[in-house]
Amino acid sequence: MFKIKLPTWFVLILPAILILVAVVLIPLLLSLYSSFTPYRLTRPDTLYKWIGTYNYEKAAKSWVFWSAFGRTVLLLTIALNLEMLLGLGLALLVSRVTRGQRALRTVMMFPMMFSPILVGFQFKFIFNDNVGLVNNALQSLGVTTAAIPWLVDQKLAMFSIIFAEVWTSTSVFAILILAGLFAIPKDPLEAAKVDGCTPWQTFRHITLPFLMPFIYIALAIRSLDVARAYDIVNIMTNGGPARRTELLWTLIGRTGYVDAKMGYANAMGYVSIFMAIFFTIFFFKKLSAARAELGMAG
Amino acid sequence: MKNPLKSLLAVTTCLAMGAVLPAAAGQFDGITVEAKLIGGQQYEGLYGRIGQWEASTGATVKIVSKKNHFELDKEFKSDLAAGTTGWCVGSNHSSFAPQYPSLYADLSPFMDADEVAGFVPAMISASTVAGKLVMLPRAQFDVSVLYYQKSLYEDDAKKAAFKTDYGYDLAPPATLDQFKDQAIFFADPPNFYGTQYAGKDEGASGRFYEMVVANGGRMFNDDWTPGFNSDAGKEALGWFVDLYKAGAVPPGTTSYLWDELGAGFASGTIALNLDWPGWSGYFNDPESSKAAGDVGLVVQPMGSAGIHTGWSGHHGFSVTEKCPTPEAAASLVAFLTNEASQIAESAGGSLPTRTAVWEHVVKAAEGDEFRSSALNVFKQGATHAFPVPKTPYWIEASNLIYPELQAAILGDKTVDQALQDAADAVDEMMQENGVY
Repeated sequence: MFKIKLPTWFVLILPAILILVAVVLIPLLLSLYSSFTPYRLTRPDTLYKWIGTYNYEKAAKSWVFWSAFGRTVLLLTIALNLEMLLGLGLALLVSRVTRGQRALRTVMMFPMMFSPILVGFQFKFIFNDNVGLVNNALQSLGVTTAAIPWLVDQKLAMFSIIFAEVWTSTSVFAILILAGLFAIPKDPLEAAKVDGCTPWQTFRHITLPFLMPFIYIALAIRSLDVARAYDIVNIMTNGGPARRTELLWTLIGRTGYVDAKMGYANAMGYVSIFMAIFFTIFFFKKLSAARAELGMAG
Repeated sequence: MKNPLKSLLAVTTCLAMGAVLPAAAGQFDGITVEAKLIGGQQYEGLYGRIGQWEASTGATVKIVSKKNHFELDKEFKSDLAAGTTGWCVGSNHSSFAPQYPSLYADLSPFMDADEVAGFVPAMISASTVAGKLVMLPRAQFDVSVLYYQKSLYEDDAKKAAFKTDYGYDLAPPATLDQFKDQAIFFADPPNFYGTQYAGKDEGASGRFYEMVVANGGRMFNDDWTPGFNSDAGKEALGWFVDLYKAGAVPPGTTSYLWDELGAGFASGTIALNLDWPGWSGYFNDPESSKAAGDVGLVVQPMGSAGIHTGWSGHHGFSVTEKCPTPEAAASLVAFLTNEASQIAESAGGSLPTRTAVWEHVVKAAEGDEFRSSALNVFKQGATHAFPVPKTPYWIEASNLIYPELQAAILGDKTVDQALQDAADAVDEMMQENGVY
């Protein structure tokens, strides 16, 4: 009987390949295929009707889609940069604490421990215009007599969502950057001190370059992970009102699961995936450049 | 008989309930019926009766999923996509039912004609999709009536001021125009608002729909082209816009749905509230509501065409086409919707869908002034009820319409522009789905 002799290295990685193919590649290919069909969840037979690039053309011509796309990029840009800056500040402050630093680090991670759905409900209540904490506090303090529509106003609604997202995820940056701070060798810092550098010069020319690889790793992880904010947005505004907070995630979720138009939702999803890939490549290029600057292998 | 003890139990149970069960004792011995049911406090009481059906038939009910309707809807759609619809009994709703043309079986062959005749005819009509009786209604019928704070209408100073401002006597509104006048009159933001409305999802589209009808218009024409971009539609949307512009509703109302609306009226800061029957007990309970003891109800108002609003819906149970034991499943559905079940369920405050149970509920409420008067109003309100348009694309159309309604309410678009955009989007969707 003929026997195929597979190379040992291939046999060893075969289980990993099979698992990846089953749970990643096949679903990806199936969803890619379905984006070229008018597939509706409620009519499974539509999966076998090929309509070419109709869904992509429809998305390309859709003002609703491009508005959501733009808003998603805006949210990513503002939220990630704010989280990075606040996380950097938080990490620098915590790194200087000498007593109780472990307890502080644990407290700092509390927001990460809440499920995004709970965070959504929490901030939906906090920003409620009628019975919410923020309006009640502002009215009690005499700052305003009006009921500020935090979740309705064009700018305030996006602000509220970004606030919730930043609250829950800043600690991710803080923890990663703190790890970076602990990894910085002491010699250059002491040399800078001896040479008479100001604290800002030390931070700008020594600490920050050492931290950049960690910052870019955090940015790369968070840019992929930020789509988890779907739960927060879904609970707080569900993309509304009047599509003022519509993001790709809420639009795709509603199109796929509520309207049952999975083919069109997948086409929009693929545009979203390409966007995520773009961000990842961008941050990894930056990471490689930062590592090269420090003399580390690319 | 395979299990005499179970049969004896079943007979005893039947006698105790004073009801005749459709299934013969032990008829479904050994059969397991899988069910996907709506969860939530107000729905759970009924499921406590399932044990009686199990004891009487010998079958077992396995609840494989329990979620709210929106989550169940997503699960059903995923099941349809995956072809995993072999479970048997599912919770259904008249607003969702038209979406699943291939999921549920026609229950008519399994039901006695007399059994079906016991339901309010309009409920059976709303449960029939494309000629198929796809569900049997449970005692969870919804049509909105107008709740109001009674004390506002007993205040002489307010009465005089209103008469001066509007030229007619202050009394609970009978028309949408009066509703708007009074909501604006009572409003004192940010502490007190004249009214509020569901501002998103099907809640917003549904309210708009009933007002279009009340103003003499139609949501869809006979060929399913959009019919709401009409004078009646503009009048309906104008009503929402005017109230928002006048500050008569909370500024966040476009993000409110039923829970927020219920909490709002219960907080005592809303004068008038068009809402569902299920809230009546909550609103008049001092434990949960600041408005308790001051809650009045009137039949929902009329639009400019002299037609009352009446967007209605009801919950029910269906049997899947792929259920391997449809007789047992249909028997369970019949049991959960029979007179004894409806009497038990409506004791919690929800409205029945059987004619005989209505009479029972009204009689049981004698001596409770609030409950009696509320039931009287609900009964009158129910005579004006109409279901959502029977198209599989109602929810999809609703998702295209409500963001445009919001845009007009918030001032992003004019009423004309918003309705034109909504009509164009629905028209494109209908054509894309091959409706015309």
